[in-house]
Amino acid sequence: MQQLTDGIFLGSIYALFAVGYTLVFGVLDRLNLAHAAVFSAGALVGIDVVTSTGISVWLAVPIVMVVGAVLGLIIERVAFRPLEGRPDAHFAGLISSIALGAVFIALLQGRYGPDTSRFPPDAFPKTRFPFLGAEVSLLQVLILAISIGLMVVLTWLVAKSKLGRGMRAIAENAHAAAVLGINVNRVSAVTFAISSALGAAAGVLFTLNVNTAQLGIGHAVELKGLAVIIVGGLGSLPGAVIGGIGLGLAEVFAVNYVGTSWRDMVAFGLLFLVLVVRPQGLFGARKAREV
Amino acid sequence: MRRSLKFTSIGASVLLLALAGCSSSGGGATDSASGGSAGTGTGADCKISQPVNVAAVFSLTGAAGQYGTGQKNAIELAVDNLNKVGGVTYKLNVQDDKTDPKQGIQLFEQFVGDDTSVIVGPTLSNTAMQTDPIAQEGKIPVLGVSNTAEGVTALGDYVYRDSLTEGAVIPQTIKAAVKAHNLKKVVLMYSNDDAFTTSGFDAMKAALEKDGVKIVDTKTFSKADTDFHTVLDAVKNDKPDAIVVSALLDAAVPLVTQAREIGLDVPIVGGNGFNSPAFIKGAGDAAEGVIVGAAWNSASDNAQNQKFLSDYQAKYNAGPDQFAAQSYAGMQIIDNAVRLGCSGEREAIKKNLAKVKNLPTVLGDFSFDENRDAVQEALVQVVKGQKFTILK
Amino acid sequence: MYQSEALITFLALSAILAYSFYAVLLAGQLSLAQLGIASLAAFTSTLVVPDEPLFGVIPQLVIGIVFGVVVGMIVAFVLGLPLIRLRGVFLAIATLAFAEMVRIFLINQSWTHGAQGMSFPKLVTPAIAVVSLAVVAFAFWRLAGSRLGRAFEAIREDELAATSMGINVARYRMASFVIAGAISGLYGVLLAYFSRFADPNEFSFTAAVDGLVSAVVGGITLFVGPILGGTFMTVLPPLERTLGIDASWVPPLISAVLLLAVILFLPGGLAGLIPRRKSRSVLVSDPAALPTLQPLPPRGTSLVKVRDFGKSYGGVRAVDSVNLDVAAGEVLGLIGPNGAGKTTLVNMVTGLTASSSGTGTVMDVALGSHTKAHRLALAGVARTFQQIKLFPRLSVLDNVLVGAYRVSQDTVWRRLIFLPSARRDERQSVAMASAQLDRVGLAAKAGDEARNLSYGDQRRLEIARALASHPSLLVLDEPAAGMNRVEAERLSVLIRSLAADGIGILVIEHNVRMMLETCDRIMVLNFGEVIAQGAPSEIARDPAVLEAYLGAATEAKGAAAAERAIEDLSESAQEAELAHDTPEAEQ
Repeated sequence: MQQLTDGIFLGSIYALFAVGYTLVFGVLDRLNLAHAAVFSAGALVGIDVVTSTGISVWLAVPIVMVVGAVLGLIIERVAFRPLEGRPDAHFAGLISSIALGAVFIALLQGRYGPDTSRFPPDAFPKTRFPFLGAEVSLLQVLILAISIGLMVVLTWLVAKSKLGRGMRAIAENAHAAAVLGINVNRVSAVTFAISSALGAAAGVLFTLNVNTAQLGIGHAVELKGLAVIIVGGLGSLPGAVIGGIGLGLAEVFAVNYVGTSWRDMVAFGLLFLVLVVRPQGLFGARKAREV
Repeated sequence: MRRSLKFTSIGASVLLLALAGCSSSGGGATDSASGGSAGTGTGADCKISQPVNVAAVFSLTGAAGQYGTGQKNAIELAVDNLNKVGGVTYKLNVQDDKTDPKQGIQLFEQFVGDDTSVIVGPTLSNTAMQTDPIAQEGKIPVLGVSNTAEGVTALGDYVYRDSLTEGAVIPQTIKAAVKAHNLKKVVLMYSNDDAFTTSGFDAMKAALEKDGVKIVDTKTFSKADTDFHTVLDAVKNDKPDAIVVSALLDAAVPLVTQAREIGLDVPIVGGNGFNSPAFIKGAGDAAEGVIVGAAWNSASDNAQNQKFLSDYQAKYNAGPDQFAAQSYAGMQIIDNAVRLGCSGEREAIKKNLAKVKNLPTVLGDFSFDENRDAVQEALVQVVKGQKFTILK
Repeated sequence: MYQSEALITFLALSAILAYSFYAVLLAGQLSLAQLGIASLAAFTSTLVVPDEPLFGVIPQLVIGIVFGVVVGMIVAFVLGLPLIRLRGVFLAIATLAFAEMVRIFLINQSWTHGAQGMSFPKLVTPAIAVVSLAVVAFAFWRLAGSRLGRAFEAIREDELAATSMGINVARYRMASFVIAGAISGLYGVLLAYFSRFADPNEFSFTAAVDGLVSAVVGGITLFVGPILGGTFMTVLPPLERTLGIDASWVPPLISAVLLLAVILFLPGGLAGLIPRRKSRSVLVSDPAALPTLQPLPPRGTSLVKVRDFGKSYGGVRAVDSVNLDVAAGEVLGLIGPNGAGKTTLVNMVTGLTASSSGTGTVMDVALGSHTKAHRLALAGVARTFQQIKLFPRLSVLDNVLVGAYRVSQDTVWRRLIFLPSARRDERQSVAMASAQLDRVGLAAKAGDEARNLSYGDQRRLEIARALASHPSLLVLDEPAAGMNRVEAERLSVLIRSLAADGIGILVIEHNVRMMLETCDRIMVLNFGEVIAQGAPSEIARDPAVLEAYLGAATEAKGAAAAERAIEDLSESAQEAELAHDTPEAEQ
């Protein structure tokens, strides 16, 4: 039982990273490789805010989300919008977002240095309680709840709201959406802002859970995050959450029954298999598109 | 088609010329044969008119950035302090290998070609395996200050290091831990995708087997991992007497704190990677009782060390870790070798490094053995009252 | 020069790595398996490379390189089998997963000493690295003007159009994958035997990103791109060091900003800065240079014979029990309101869509669920598309040269050793293409990029491309769309002259007037069913046809087109009733 809950909680962290990631991919058909840098930025800025002002983590999260949203706007404006209409927009978008991510990391190193840091130990209560024969922490339950909550809220947003209708129209055909009077640039910008705000918040929660943060933490989660959104189906929000939890469970299984050295082998092997058997991902409806 | 071939070959040669141009301008070789000049007098009276050029290659950015940055800080501090002594001045040139051996190789080649007298670094052992043969071939002495892997000094007689190998530190750590906690069975944990921690693991395994302690389980993780809840829950089921961990600081803090959070309260034994004030700062209460084998006693009251600690704190507003201390000591050792022969020439430094004997450094009294490896006291520390103290 | 040894070697190596990405990007694929393949090649080479030259004469490095290249090709091929059908980001992620699996595997092997790495003898000199790069670059230079090179570019630009010109997309994608594997193997062996030591972590995702970045920065449309990209990535750090900046975070910042600038402001990468030579688009108008072509089937030979063809999507029957025959030398028109199933029908006939029911043969190839479009194309079927499918970034001439795929031989091997016959073959292809461009009146624009042409010119270019394959059956899907009246009339003349040459032509068109004038026979589809067929004069008088268009005119979508069709139909009917001696009035 402990293993099961471990897997679910581990997976919910992957899911948290992946939800914002997949939102951009689903709507704009762009893989934003600067997302990992936003994740790191969220963690480091969050730590900075909490340690320097002494405010509670609860207040820091909204601040971090605003910072993340701003970064998202910058990413959209600098790395993606100038590429519109270019025949190589897909490849170029990968590279420009990698480059912009590197810019963020360099600036973060300039501001915070390369050292490991963390939230003050008392920033968040370390309450633990038994749950169905396993032991869980308040934070883990919170992360799981937030992941699922975000999935529900975002799914609703995409399906029902005016903004969501714009997103779906753009996902279907950006040109047609523009003809229909949808402000494509604004919807794209807002999508990036939401995605990056979530990525930054994920950085804070991740750091709280593992008690450490440094420049590279985004990259450490990046590959797993990619795996999750692919397994779950690109652009599928429930897919990102279920894919994340699936990956978490697979890793826990590997740790307990295969051997820790082969844990990532199991994770990537699973990813490989899913792609071979079901290229559109487990919950992906849309057909594979060109990069 | 013929025209395009011509175009290509012209383009290629222009490119190569441009490269040759820019690389030699980077070097500015003047006195490359000797790499420095000799002076008069010996030891404290030694006077060398020209500055002795010391180059350092550390990983300032990339994955090992936080270790290399401390090393850079420390060696700059050491050079500042040594230049105040007088007689010999050092000109320091610290470069970033970006945690990429390819950059290290190019930097070493550059230093072989310019007027550098001695090279310090690189940060990582696996980089040293690729860069140090270049120093050996170019006949320039190199002093590793954080390379612990086997085979580094075997690369040649120009290669020295002041960093104790894990094999020299770990056995006594294990012995002390076994004695202190009466250990019978333990779980070993290490990140298996890092050379430093893997060699630490090898040493731990050998020492535990020698001391008759049963290793009930071995758990590996990746150096990029920070979430250990799952692995630690599995370790908890093994009910070990202690966990023995070979990890770098990046993993040490989350691993120890998460172990305590899930109620895994057995003693934890760590290696050199834990020997950093950042460990205690990061792990806080969870660090209490953790046993750390180390090559540097941060609490040592020797005068050198106290000065180092206070200077470092004053200049950088943070405490140094073991890598920084070894980097600082490296400069002390080089200074000693330079003064012994009163020469900044490469050959002289190489020869005189071998003569460094019982030199008081921040690491304690320091000598090289016949394999150019460090000989110094290793020690076992335990975290008590948020401080490293010697485990008695 | 000693001090630039490593710089030159790493420059060459980084360009070679960039080529391994270029090889797949050239065919429009993104693979990240290269570093995994490179590390497999490097580490396994230690198992076969001897300590001494083999038989005292064969140097160890030669053995290592040959072994690495072969391992690279085999691994790429085996990996390609399940993965080659994946596209875009899915291929990228699957290959990335593979590379990570290799890394984890090698870390867990004792013979590699895991993370502690392996020592290699230093066998590679800067000269060897530069020569290796020169060989790779040379091969890509010779590839660029060959039929294989054009096939890769065509696949990159538009897979569907490439298929319908007879290019076996799956096979060529695999070929590019295996070429990339060979270069990756070469890279791995050269790197390990230069730097004397390697651990599996040096072949990580980060290294793959570096390779990809140098390929894209260099530019993927010109063979020197990888060299420029490799140079950019290698020279930047030493240049930054000469600035003497103390803050360690500044150089990475400069690199990243420069990279961003190159990507945003140089759409073709650094290679885009090199002016394209016009000589590549010189036409050959010498009739003696034309290839000897197979004669077309005799007039009246049945080219298409389809019975009871049907296609349903979900519950909707897009095409229902249609019989269709086309003979050599005749023009068969297919008309009908929007959504009548015309395009679905021709897609089935050209092998792009499988039928749900019925049987058929096209150019003696039986149509089944596994019939590939490129097979039909090779049998002599060429087509144009309703939504124009050109190769947008290729020149007008290159577009048509891809069309000549069917009537040309592969030249890449012969080009590598400069055999004169390769040159002759290429000249034949150019002559074939030139003739078609001349025929459609685009000869003056041969050097322009296809995407810069006007809409009408693009339509004509598509026809020229189709004609370059010397087809027996030509399928035109709305060739006159977007053309003015004069252009449409010229097109009509062209179609008639092609039929006179003996080509069977199946044409879909909304311009009913033009169809009535051009076709020998017309078939009218509505809601997937044939509602009328016969000679143009009969169709113009058929009340069922008018009714179908009247029905369509009440719907919002396509109403205008239907109204125009009604106009054309009624006009033609009146004209048919009047004496034939009245010439058509100009409006």
